[in-house]
Amino acid sequence: MSRSVLLGLLTYGLLLTGIATVKGEFIALALPLVTYLIIGYLQAPEKIKLEATRHLSVERTSPNSNVDVTVTVTNRGSSLEEILLADVLPAGLTVRSVPAAPVRTNRHLLRLAKGESYTFGYTVSGPRGGYVFDALELKVNDHLAVSSSKVRVEMKGRLFVLPPVTRVRNIAIRPRRTRVYAGTIPARAGGAGTDFFGVRDYQPGDPPSAINWRASARHIDKLYANEFQQERVADVGIVLDGRLRTNEFARGHSLFEYSVQAAASLADALLNQGNRVGLLVYASYLAWTLPGYGKIQRERILHALANAKTGGSQVFSDLEHLPTRLFPPESQIILISPLSEDDFAPLIQLRAEGYEVMVISPNPVKFELSYLPANEIVGLAGRVIRMERALLLQKMGRAGIHVLDWDVVEPFDLFVKRRLGRSPVWLRAIER
Amino acid sequence: MTIFALILSILLAIIALAIGYAQAGVDNYSLWFLLLAAVWLIAHFRKWYWFSSIALLITIIAAAFGVWNGFPTIWMLLGALGGLLGWDLSDFARRLSYAAPMDDTRGMERLHMERVGIVAALGFGLAILSLFVRIHRLAFEVAVGLILLATLGLTRLVIGLRKY
Repeated sequence: MSRSVLLGLLTYGLLLTGIATVKGEFIALALPLVTYLIIGYLQAPEKIKLEATRHLSVERTSPNSNVDVTVTVTNRGSSLEEILLADVLPAGLTVRSVPAAPVRTNRHLLRLAKGESYTFGYTVSGPRGGYVFDALELKVNDHLAVSSSKVRVEMKGRLFVLPPVTRVRNIAIRPRRTRVYAGTIPARAGGAGTDFFGVRDYQPGDPPSAINWRASARHIDKLYANEFQQERVADVGIVLDGRLRTNEFARGHSLFEYSVQAAASLADALLNQGNRVGLLVYASYLAWTLPGYGKIQRERILHALANAKTGGSQVFSDLEHLPTRLFPPESQIILISPLSEDDFAPLIQLRAEGYEVMVISPNPVKFELSYLPANEIVGLAGRVIRMERALLLQKMGRAGIHVLDWDVVEPFDLFVKRRLGRSPVWLRAIER
Repeated sequence: MTIFALILSILLAIIALAIGYAQAGVDNYSLWFLLLAAVWLIAHFRKWYWFSSIALLITIIAAAFGVWNGFPTIWMLLGALGGLLGWDLSDFARRLSYAAPMDDTRGMERLHMERVGIVAALGFGLAILSLFVRIHRLAFEVAVGLILLATLGLTRLVIGLRKY
């Protein structure tokens, strides 16, 4: 019940009692309340017109980094005696106190004279995500808080807390089909390049350095030239598995953040190599980022990854509904998933359709065992599950799927360097 | 400052009611008033701000009961006024708790005390005046004006209640 209603009821109660009992003392009792109400209403602001602006120190940042928010409120209406204001924070962000600095919050109590401005700031941080700042909520009271108005000043703002990108270099992938532009992916075709591909007849126009003298020496009437493997860019589709049942474990533990980090690092590396990269987040719905090149595509993918969340959906509970038509034929697909037993068939289907499939699988068994108590039952269960997983990975490997079993304790960049690293051109030249 | 004023207001309400009741020969209520004061203060420090509305209701009802039974009106009036001030200051303290450390709470407190003091003095003065002024005959125009004022107030009250 609002303050004015309570006071009004009490006042009327006393006045009516006074009239009914013909006792002036009741009216006397009511008079302080009446005075309070009347003065409160007389002091109510005539016109509430507030403007506000919000400024974020950065619009994209890394998880749990501090972001300074500065809000300025200007009163364009009549003088306001008491304003309770709160800058509504998006869910997930928290106000941080900076050591050795005055406490700064997103809630303030102030007075604003006509035309006056008030600026305040605070610091927020949060986990990976896309955050939308919505509005500034204000409650304007007269000085006795008899009348009160709630005002929302809309001022949109966006903050992207992007997943951390670890620098990964020279990822070796071998899709069946490449694009026409020069890149770093071996194209399974002879031409200009650095890796030896084969020997062919010497043709006029070939540089003398290309002549394979050893092969030519065996034939009196013919010269042979070395042919090198062309290196081009490729189409790569990254599929991030966000299914609840494969990513979330007991006691709130999740592998999803590792998968997101892996997807971000891979996308960054593949785009840096000049490839055309698309991203599909396979969770409660399909979030598809169209394939593209370059820095803008990197931003698009990082924004999509910032917003990626795990989700449980009956439709997407297994990989049966992976929309293969989104990926160009015979392109490289990189699935980042902890994997479950029933993912085998859909992945085989992808292989059968001609895609080059690579699976980067954060190891859920090692992850789960790392926080479970080390006792006999857990150990036995761990052995059984480990064997099941090893069998699944073995079956996939036999089907031509390149599976990388990633123990998330190892940093992703070191893991990729060890398992997917491709020596740089100059080193390969020396090795030859 | 607000807390100090709040404690004074609660004490004013309780002591005035207790004295008024005691002067009328009803001593056994004093303990209940003391209990009310204690619960009110505890509720405030435990941030049960809703209790101040109940406390206001109780003090007004106690004052009205005293008036009904012919207890000294001045004490009942002071009791009701103390209840009103306590209720106001309790809510003001709640609003102050929203303030950030760098906000000018001192200035707002000082201003609020001044204004509430003026309101209390004005209300008390009018109430005292009403006790001594006796109108034996009311002019028709004044009566109509009072009725219109009452209707206006009642309308605002109904509008306020309709929100709930």
